[in-house]
Amino acid sequence: MDILNAWIALIPVTLAQSLILSFVVLAVMLPFRILSFPDLTSEGSYPLGGCVCAVALIAGVPPLPALLIAATAGFLAGCATAFIHLRFRIHTLLAGILITTMLYSINLRIMGKANQPIFSEPKVYDWLSPLSLSASWTKIVLVGVLALVTYLVLNLWFTTERGTAMRAVGANSDMAEAQGINVWRATIGGIGLAGAFSAFGGGLMVQSQGFADVNMGLGVLINALAALMIGEAILGRTTLRRQLAAPFVGAVVYYQLISVCLAAGLPPGDLKIATGVFVLVMLAAPTMGFRRRNAGTPAKESFRE
Amino acid sequence: MLKIKDARRVFFQGMPDEKVALDGLSLTLARGDFAIVIGSNGAGKSTMMNAVSGALMLDQGSIHINGADVTAMPVHARARHVARVFQDPMKGTAASMTIAENMLLAEMRQNPARLRRGLTRARRETYREHLSYLGLGLEDRLDTPVSLLSGGQRQSLSLVMAVSGEPDILLLDEHTAALDPRTADLVLNATLRAVTALKLTTMMVTHNMAHALEYGNRIIMLDAGKVLLELSGEEKARATVPDLIGHFSVKSDRMLLGA
Repeated sequence: MDILNAWIALIPVTLAQSLILSFVVLAVMLPFRILSFPDLTSEGSYPLGGCVCAVALIAGVPPLPALLIAATAGFLAGCATAFIHLRFRIHTLLAGILITTMLYSINLRIMGKANQPIFSEPKVYDWLSPLSLSASWTKIVLVGVLALVTYLVLNLWFTTERGTAMRAVGANSDMAEAQGINVWRATIGGIGLAGAFSAFGGGLMVQSQGFADVNMGLGVLINALAALMIGEAILGRTTLRRQLAAPFVGAVVYYQLISVCLAAGLPPGDLKIATGVFVLVMLAAPTMGFRRRNAGTPAKESFRE
Repeated sequence: MLKIKDARRVFFQGMPDEKVALDGLSLTLARGDFAIVIGSNGAGKSTMMNAVSGALMLDQGSIHINGADVTAMPVHARARHVARVFQDPMKGTAASMTIAENMLLAEMRQNPARLRRGLTRARRETYREHLSYLGLGLEDRLDTPVSLLSGGQRQSLSLVMAVSGEPDILLLDEHTAALDPRTADLVLNATLRAVTALKLTTMMVTHNMAHALEYGNRIIMLDAGKVLLELSGEEKARATVPDLIGHFSVKSDRMLLGA
């Protein structure tokens, strides 16, 4: 009972956090699943977004433009990863690691120090202060609406001609090129978009926690990947809508699982092993006879090298 | 109209295993020509197809399509003029996307993608109609992922996609070679119907000499990166399978003597 009560008490905080991080999960899903471009840049673009957002706020930029500036910085980081993969034929994972590594120094330069508090600056969450909700519920409502809008817009985007072309690049890039699609532009744009989402998530997090830290990205990628696997295990990947919803659902469920572990008294240091076990179980489940019904034929995995 | 002039392409230049894939190849196809390309392995057929589609850039020489110089044009820009069906059914379609989405992609060869709705009702009707010519029932499976289709169905879809929008040049790279004989016939017949009906300028690579003689209005035989033999009209009509095979053996004799 104590565990249950402890968990319930944590729900608002963890729900707010998971909604913010769902943007990072989205940033992992888009390259990985839609563009067949497994990418690690999120680990760097997330703190980049945070640092840029904090510095912009300190400079007196209003909270929403600060978020958009952060997203632009993330977009450029994603573009850089895609570019060095395409131009120099460096493996996508290595390209992402290189950019992430360099971003650490860049983030330090941007802030001029390792940690930047922004307690007194205005935040996007202040918009909802007339509703006089608790701090956590304010974040849940605001970020929840943002996530929903993002989901709907992405659904629309990927059914437009351009969005379909972008998906084709991930499905079969040679074929896409033969159909007149500019593979470079679609890849750079798509990976950039993912970087923008990741940095946007970083900006939201910084405004939520009241400080930016160059180390805030540590481990965010593996958490995002775990959340994505859980989301996909729940929803499946049979349709575009499910694939796009998986990051959001996965993020919420994953952080609740973590929260249960915390409520059960698991020391924070052991959370990594819990995360690893979650991912392992989700990946191993299909091979152990717990096949989902209606799962259809899984599309063959083929990634660019 | 397609005009290849003095095309040269060398692989592994300056290495011990240097290979001259195209050695001053020149070739002109008139509008509406249906050329059957034959030649032994390594004769340069695929290299020529890749050069025309833009997948491979030439070291020297030029390629003109309808009078426009496309020598330096990348694949995606050349797609407006050139459509291609590969030997491998997996290559010509996007497996994880639906039949209708694949048809939409093919349509964007002529009309580059814009920010507007993709699969409209009108488009779906058009695709349904185009697919119905195949007689495979694909028109009723527009929302089926292509990964669930058989190789023959995928290749038929690739063909419909390639001829949609009536490309200036249609390249068929042994596109029935990976199919079972019955399906191969089906795809070949669909090809012939489309090429004849739309009067497409076509190059078809095949290893089937009977097909080479029966179809098309020209036979082009490649050897060592050059055109070894060209038959059209009367000459083509008189040629027999042994005649064609004879040219292959001349080459292997030469190879033996040269060795």
